[in-house]
Amino acid sequence: MKRYRAHILSLLAAGLICLAAVPARAQWVPERTDRMVNDYSGVLESTPREALERGLRGFSDSTSNQVVVIITPTLYGDDESVTAQRIGQAWGVGQKEFDNGVVILIKSKTAEENWGAVAIATGYGVEGVLPDVFCKHIIDDEMIPALSDGDYERAIKQALDVILPVMAGEYSYAQYRADERRKGLIALGVLVAIMVLIVVCVVRYAKKHPDQFRGGGGGTYLGGSPRGGFGGWGGGSFGGSSWGGFGGGSFGGGGASGRF
Amino acid sequence: MKKNTVTIVVVVAAVAIALLWGIGVNNKLVTADENVQQAWAQVENVYKRRMDLVPQLVATVQGAADYERSVLTEVTNARAGVEQTSVDPSTLSEEQVKAYQQAQDRLSKAVANTIKVTVERYPELTATQGFRDLQTQLEGTENRITVERGRFNEAVQGYNTMLRRFPASIVAGICGFEKKGYFTAPAEAAEPVKVEFDF
Repeated sequence: MKRYRAHILSLLAAGLICLAAVPARAQWVPERTDRMVNDYSGVLESTPREALERGLRGFSDSTSNQVVVIITPTLYGDDESVTAQRIGQAWGVGQKEFDNGVVILIKSKTAEENWGAVAIATGYGVEGVLPDVFCKHIIDDEMIPALSDGDYERAIKQALDVILPVMAGEYSYAQYRADERRKGLIALGVLVAIMVLIVVCVVRYAKKHPDQFRGGGGGTYLGGSPRGGFGGWGGGSFGGSSWGGFGGGSFGGGGASGRF
Repeated sequence: MKKNTVTIVVVVAAVAIALLWGIGVNNKLVTADENVQQAWAQVENVYKRRMDLVPQLVATVQGAADYERSVLTEVTNARAGVEQTSVDPSTLSEEQVKAYQQAQDRLSKAVANTIKVTVERYPELTATQGFRDLQTQLEGTENRITVERGRFNEAVQGYNTMLRRFPASIVAGICGFEKKGYFTAPAEAAEPVKVEFDF
């Protein structure tokens, strides 16, 4: 009996050493909520926040795709993309059978830290429609400019205007790129037109008043997006009865991140 | 006569119970083993993804005139080194996993170094959309590698713990289940391929 006890003890010790050898990192994330929009930094007004919440719940109810927005003053001791992935996994954003969840994590600027970060984490099932490079473009082009102005609401809306139609299969990365190109071309065209106009005006003015000619003025360009926004913000009914919480989707580290 | 019968019944019952228990343990180990192999397949997937991106990276940076040769040689060699290591997914012994990790970590370092050198010394290349997209893809791949390695380690931990716990360890010994290797996290592997742009 004594011999057995020694045997068991040595096995236990071996097991403990074995466990200790595996790097056990404290992996904590904010406690799971049943909300799609979680503003721990308190940067969103309650009206737009609730509108976003309704929109995202409606989106979840109608397509089963789940997009969670988290704004936090801390990154929970990790890099933004890792934290976003971990939150997605821990909360189970998206449906278990489709892994169709997306987490948009924004680390807000705080009084102590004058930098912010944003990460989009994609569930396994949406890696195809939202490849990393696409997420990076969304972050750089739709979010960072607004975030740099401190406009969190606009950043989130603009990102969702791209992400939701893409997830719903109404819009694709190829179309987004074509639109970007077209937007660039339109901007270029307008710029050229304005310049031509200015030159013409200046030339005519100079011809009329050669004595007092000083210089021309400038034009401003207000570009409109050629892309229609994703309609129905706040349009979805908020019954609460059909809301079944997060579905247990899995995240494999897809997505992108950026800082502002 | 009667005593003998009782003894036989008891022995047979004991053997039957032991057998049933043994089969149960064996099946659990098989399931755990299967989990480990599945997690391994995912690990290989994400590493494969990076392997596919490396030639693109090389092709992109090679375009720059007078690009640092030694950096490219290291990436190409590291990639070749990975190709030479082979792992048997049904064994996944500690030595195999260790050798695999060493080869992959060398590639991680080489890729990270290539990006670092490019960003530091070739600003015109860094500014191209092609390079930035590639960088994003490589970053995403590193994230995926971290996730899948973590999941693999969890699966192995479950399996190894089951394997070594007495008395299941007896069944494991008889049925020939062997301990599997973990990924360890050396300082250089934990360093993500990450370069910040100023916006």
